Amino acid sequence: MLRNSLFASGKLRHLPAIAIVPKLTRSSSTAKPLDAVTQKEVRHHENHASEWWNQNGTMSALHALNEIRVPFIRDGIVSRGIVKPAYVNTTKVLFGQNILEVGCGGGLLTEHLARLGAQVTGIDLGVKLIEAAREHVKCSSPELANRVVYKMEPVDQHAKTNCECYDAVIVSEVLEHVNDKVALLEASVRTLKPGGSIFITTLNKTIPSWFGGVILSEYVLGLVPRGTHHWDKMISPLDVQRILDTMNCETVMVNGSTYDFWSNNWRWINNNQMCYALHAVKQPQREYN
Amino acid sequence: MLGVLRIQGALASAGQSRLLSARLLASKSSTDMTTSRGESTQSPATEHFDIIIGGGGLVGTTLAAALAKNSTLADKKVLLLEGAPEFRGFNPTGPYQNRVSAINHNSIELFKSIDAWTHIESARYKPVKQMQVWESNTDALIQFQHDNFASDVACIIENDLILDAVYARVKEAANVEILNKARIQCVRLPKDSNSNLSELQLQDGRSFSCDLLIGADGANSVVRKEMNVDVFSLNYDRMGLVATLELGEDACDNSVAWQRFLPNGPVALLPLTDRLSSLVWSTTNEQAKMLQALPPAEFVDALNEAFCRQYPRVELADKAVQALNSLFGHNATQHQVQYPPRVCGVQDKSRATFPLGFLHASSYVCNGAALVGDAAHRVHPLAGQGVNLGFSDVRFLVESLATGAYAGFKLGDKQHLMKYERKCLAKNVPIMLGVHGLHTLYSTQFSPVVLLRSLGLQLTQNLPPVKNLFMRGAMGQ
Repeated sequence: MLRNSLFASGKLRHLPAIAIVPKLTRSSSTAKPLDAVTQKEVRHHENHASEWWNQNGTMSALHALNEIRVPFIRDGIVSRGIVKPAYVNTTKVLFGQNILEVGCGGGLLTEHLARLGAQVTGIDLGVKLIEAAREHVKCSSPELANRVVYKMEPVDQHAKTNCECYDAVIVSEVLEHVNDKVALLEASVRTLKPGGSIFITTLNKTIPSWFGGVILSEYVLGLVPRGTHHWDKMISPLDVQRILDTMNCETVMVNGSTYDFWSNNWRWINNNQMCYALHAVKQPQREYN
Repeated sequence: MLGVLRIQGALASAGQSRLLSARLLASKSSTDMTTSRGESTQSPATEHFDIIIGGGGLVGTTLAAALAKNSTLADKKVLLLEGAPEFRGFNPTGPYQNRVSAINHNSIELFKSIDAWTHIESARYKPVKQMQVWESNTDALIQFQHDNFASDVACIIENDLILDAVYARVKEAANVEILNKARIQCVRLPKDSNSNLSELQLQDGRSFSCDLLIGADGANSVVRKEMNVDVFSLNYDRMGLVATLELGEDACDNSVAWQRFLPNGPVALLPLTDRLSSLVWSTTNEQAKMLQALPPAEFVDALNEAFCRQYPRVELADKAVQALNSLFGHNATQHQVQYPPRVCGVQDKSRATFPLGFLHASSYVCNGAALVGDAAHRVHPLAGQGVNLGFSDVRFLVESLATGAYAGFKLGDKQHLMKYERKCLAKNVPIMLGVHGLHTLYSTQFSPVVLLRSLGLQLTQNLPPVKNLFMRGAMGQ
């Protein structure tokens, strides 16, 4: 899993970030009503709120993604050395970890992390999604109720009251639906304790990923509702890395992954042309503006 | 000819399954409910466990031991339900039992991993150094062994000894409870992904709930019926006859397993000690009944005849086999059938019969439940694969549950259980088709088929790479 960690070479960190920095100031303004594009995205996902927990429905790929993203996050956190050795290899491995999930949707990933012992806060903009997530915990996994909190709240607002309080922040399958990625990432990083980890999974911005993720899965095979992904919102791992660098986060790992629709199975691959998972660590105090 | 070489042992699965299903289905009001730890909780409320295993046969008990041994699953509460009274133990100095299994390398690895192997090793078992398989209509023959007999082909172990070894591991496990005389009355599974518990009720009215119910309850599995999966099954209209045999002085160290395909089905001798062997004779129902009822002396004669008798030959096939052998530069004398040691007695009351059949469940898992062993698949004993497939299920299931739990999946989450099913199908289906194919291939005397199967067998014998391929498959390596 370490094969891609070299991406985090210092060279990248010093790339000019002029284009990005001005945006940072904007993101810290007070909560505004959502813009039209964001509202459209939120509505799109809310329309599938009832489908969220159906393993055989349009979310089946997202269910299957847990097979690789949970271990990625889990091992990423363990590798930071903040897990008691006695907990490793047990189902309490994330015990005591405070985790924020940005864009938790119906809570597919949230519950998995809580089941490993973590204290998870899931935030999302879709009120129906948050309701579906709360409902599911209540009905299906009541034992997790005191480890999971769902809030309908934009991340920049959440960051105001929860500055530097999480051990890990997760932005999974969210970045490809967001216009202002810098603002989202900046607010996410702000909630992280120094030394905390940010985990991102998303699609790459390449012809193969566009063909597989949009044309094939939305229009040909109908695996995912149409209009879920857009070319102009996809982002390459290098761009994510650059943005994170400006926020004093060092990328320690980028792993490529792909989805086999015929077996509903995700697997790691040797390149990140399709999808990728990225793990970055917030460095201890250093000015970055 | 897939699987021609999977000719070890025999009994294993079918016998075990019958025993198990009979235990679970027998209706008998049970008043003396005991647990292994002597707690008699009689509360009417539903008791919850993380995992409940229905069926405490070889596979079910081994699964319980393997779950207890796994460090990731160490915090899971496991309940093992068994229809029979508490296992009475095994006496390693007593008479040999008629129910034995040919255990392959993979299964031995499993026993080693759960610390059960030393228990078996210190009691008694017989390693098989070589196997010979031949048939009645031609001279075709095949022999398996490792180079210079360096390691064993399989081990013949009594079923009760295996059970004794794994049962001891289960009893010392802190997180596993055993409930004997527990017969499942009805099962309720979570039908959709929103409800999350499997529930079951015993015939005495006690009820339990669990995150994952594992059906290890044999070919007539109650759990499988509730899972509503399609089942493909065939009744072979054949029975297996088992017995413990005494051998004559020509047995030497008796480390060869013998199997001869007769027109009615294969007859096999599996070594138990230097002078004892276990018999598995698959034949028509009538002949099996007749053989079981014969006086011992006549039975022994019938058996010796079965291994030596000359049946009508298919001349063309005979010539083809000879031609093939000469092509490979073997002359007739090099390639002669060796005959097994003469049987001179059968132990009292050791003769028993069980029906043979083929069964495969279309799916091994659903939300909240999974199948292992004979509940999912049942094969002809001719290759001794039945119980070994069950043990391989155990390995896959425990591995898969541990990975799933460590990734935050619920135990009964079908999403992850599918991984178990996929691994099992990839391993089990080719073996099952191979064994079934062999059974079909050898239940005819139609000349062209005899010709082809003889050539196939002989070719395999003469081509070491092909032979090794089959041998590895049969030994689970």
